[in-house]
Amino acid sequence: MSEAAAHPAVHQHTAPTGFIRKYVFSVDHKIIGLQYYGLALVAVFVGMVLSWLMRIHLGWATFAIPGLHLLSSTGAPGNVMTPEYYLSLMTMHGTIMVFFVLTNAPFSGFGNYFLPIQVGAPDMAFPRMNMMSFWVTLVAFLVLMASFFVSDGPTIAGWTVYAPLSAVGKDAGPGLAMGQNLWAVAIAIFCVGQLLGSLNFIATTLDLRTKGMSLLRLPFSTWAWFITSVIGLLAFAVLLPACVLLILDRTAGTSFFIPGGLVVSDHLQPHTGGSPLLWQHLFWFFGHPEVYIAILPAIGIVSHILPAFMRKPLLGPRVIVGCMVAIGFLSYMVWGHHMFVSGMNPFSALLFSVPTLIITIPATIATLLWIGSVYGAKLRFTSASLFCLGFISVFISGGISGFFLAQPSIDTYLHATYFVVAHFHFVMAVAAIFAIFAGTYFWMPKMIGRMMNETLGQIHFWITFVGVYCIFMPMHYLGLAGNVRRYAAFTDDFLVPLIPVHQFITIAALVTGAAQFIFLFNLIWTRFRGPKAPDNPWNATSLEWSTTSPPPFDNFGGRQLVVHHEAYEYGVAGSAGDYVMQTSPEVVKPQ
Amino acid sequence: MDVSELDATIHAGHAGMEESPYGIPSGKLAMWCFVLSDAVTFSAVLFAYGYLRIGSPDWSTPFTFVPSVLNGLVMTFVLLTSGLTMLAAVEAAKAGRTAAGTRWLWATCALGALFAGMHLMEWRHMIEEGWRLFQNPLGGSVEFGAAFFCITGLHLLHVLGGVCALAVIALGFHRQRYNSIDVEVLGIYWHFVDLVWMFVFPLVYLMNAR
Amino acid sequence: MSVQGAALGPGMKFFVAVWIALMCIVGVEVIVTYQHLPPRQLLVWLLLLAFLEAGVAAWYFMHLKYERAALTWSLLPALVFVVFMMDHIWPDAFRLASLRLLSH
Repeated sequence: MSEAAAHPAVHQHTAPTGFIRKYVFSVDHKIIGLQYYGLALVAVFVGMVLSWLMRIHLGWATFAIPGLHLLSSTGAPGNVMTPEYYLSLMTMHGTIMVFFVLTNAPFSGFGNYFLPIQVGAPDMAFPRMNMMSFWVTLVAFLVLMASFFVSDGPTIAGWTVYAPLSAVGKDAGPGLAMGQNLWAVAIAIFCVGQLLGSLNFIATTLDLRTKGMSLLRLPFSTWAWFITSVIGLLAFAVLLPACVLLILDRTAGTSFFIPGGLVVSDHLQPHTGGSPLLWQHLFWFFGHPEVYIAILPAIGIVSHILPAFMRKPLLGPRVIVGCMVAIGFLSYMVWGHHMFVSGMNPFSALLFSVPTLIITIPATIATLLWIGSVYGAKLRFTSASLFCLGFISVFISGGISGFFLAQPSIDTYLHATYFVVAHFHFVMAVAAIFAIFAGTYFWMPKMIGRMMNETLGQIHFWITFVGVYCIFMPMHYLGLAGNVRRYAAFTDDFLVPLIPVHQFITIAALVTGAAQFIFLFNLIWTRFRGPKAPDNPWNATSLEWSTTSPPPFDNFGGRQLVVHHEAYEYGVAGSAGDYVMQTSPEVVKPQ
Repeated sequence: MDVSELDATIHAGHAGMEESPYGIPSGKLAMWCFVLSDAVTFSAVLFAYGYLRIGSPDWSTPFTFVPSVLNGLVMTFVLLTSGLTMLAAVEAAKAGRTAAGTRWLWATCALGALFAGMHLMEWRHMIEEGWRLFQNPLGGSVEFGAAFFCITGLHLLHVLGGVCALAVIALGFHRQRYNSIDVEVLGIYWHFVDLVWMFVFPLVYLMNAR
Repeated sequence: MSVQGAALGPGMKFFVAVWIALMCIVGVEVIVTYQHLPPRQLLVWLLLLAFLEAGVAAWYFMHLKYERAALTWSLLPALVFVVFMMDHIWPDAFRLASLRLLSH
């Protein structure tokens, strides 16, 4: 023990006192994780409300939404949003959801909370840099939100802010003066926060594993967070300069993305020599790995939770890790599939299409391994495990539409239609949200020491599950029928007959959205009235269940854990019980 | 990052923890990862420059040997020498010679500041000739100014950041608030800044020599 | 006491020699620049020399040689892969040039 005492812990000081040091400017990774999660909760609520406003307008274009003029008097005169304001709301919906929900919650939120614990460390490798990365992310969010309150409103250029629309400045329309500047600055700041976070995750995973925790004994969630942070390190490194170049085009008169001779709103733009395609290349070079940054932690979380409720490990665990690595690697080779109709070299389109089809292979292998594992297992249905099954379902649904979009010939027709909207919502948005829900139901007892209400959780699941299918399945039909995306209203002859479908989707969206308040209520109720959670309510094996709920300041109460087993020893033949915790000294002879 | 955090990571692999696959302190590993990320950032900017240059048939090549290329050569010499003094600082720090290490750190800081000063003077000279982010006094593509000031500006920001860090570490090392690992970690960053210049000088200066 | 005690590497004399070598490479770059090569050839030469210079700097100045091989094998392939992928953009740059020449 004297060696352990001589070993200086990452925290040489005792637990902080005072509200500010404990809960606001905290260097404790658990508090920082909760702060990220809280930010994501606020962001998802804002993003969801934006989607309601969009959906109501799409179903009923002339409907006056009460109070909308308070949000923007120019964007919604008489409470009916202008087409430009619809685009503003749509842009903010996408930006907030992709960056501040899907990158935040499963990666920065749960990852910050559980990665150090799952490797057996008392904290992240760089606690103060960790705190800085949260506050940088929060500043980014606030800068982005500020664009709602500038006179012109948020940018209308979509979350992908394609040039030259995003680059020429206020001539191009409302939201493209200050709103676009704020977007670019906010996202640039976000890149910095993510970079700092990635450094922490990588250093912690590699350097702070406790004795016996070899890399192969890491839980799937830790592997996923580690791989995601490597992807993020390289992807955000390209988005940052892209945003800087965009800001220069907008404010300093450069022409990186603006060609010559462009006449916008009857004004000849002074720029010359640039290329809008260059923006697309730079953006999607980041943008495609970004969607895998959104989904890989979800894959890790679902893979981590399922064994606890099946009471047996997943089939092919090393293969699943290999699939995650393969997805991470291939994610850098496919970005051009967002640009099939951009005027990009069509031979390049082939070079992008092939890896896009190849990347479906590791995703499919992982899916088959989940299904194969669940089949024949006596899966216990809880809120957490139901959302895991829901994840698999929507991941498959969204993945299948990907096969079509991966081929340039088909994508030429389907690009920028609702088919694409259906695809990415299923495979990325809904799938990752389901994993966030699963993670919440699974880990909330550990995080705040109280059990969530199971009944409410299952009601939440069923309404949400049916609801998302009602919302996004019809969008495939809409896309095939030629329904263009990013339109504020449908007045063309071939689109008007599709409006009833939009109205159905809107109603489904509102009902599904309302069901999320069950989840919110459950969270609040749990915090104040939930029954106390034991240390290991799920009889699970990984290191987070070896400590109290919630864990103490240094995670393990000064103990230096020793790991003896792999991460998912459930139903082990020859073992005394139905599961063997990673820290258990029990020696199990292989049968 | 303070001493207690570094100490913890130095001792990784000793009592009670698994050894890192790289056997280096976490601060060093993080700096290598940061360098990798920053290298990708500079690559993106350089690729954008190459893309725009190839796409601009009216590209200008304004750099005469005197003053531009010669100035660039001297700046290269200054930066390379600062790399050498940085090495001397790291060697002295690792050998426990605090005073010598501090002196070499200050020397590196001074050379970095000299580089930055020369660079700013060069910028002033070019601006006086009529070059801007959006303007080309020779009548060719305006992308030249955009690319030149953007790339060299990004590099200059990194140099200035390094100069500030060198000053902070030099002061702190002298007061024994920072140790040899801190110096070494900063050294990796400083050498990276030098490394980027090894691409900027040929691609931005020599490729545009007339 | 430092972790690197066993791997101090060579002394400053060696690094001065490396420094001289780096400056020689820069010298060669300048000489090559004034050989009136066509731009494409000049670019190839300069890139080769730049990568050589960077490699020497990373290997010796940044002490990669004296670290475990695993570090180099982790960092370098990642950078090479990412930079290689970025080469996808060149066909569009050349097409842009030919479109602009056509329009004149």
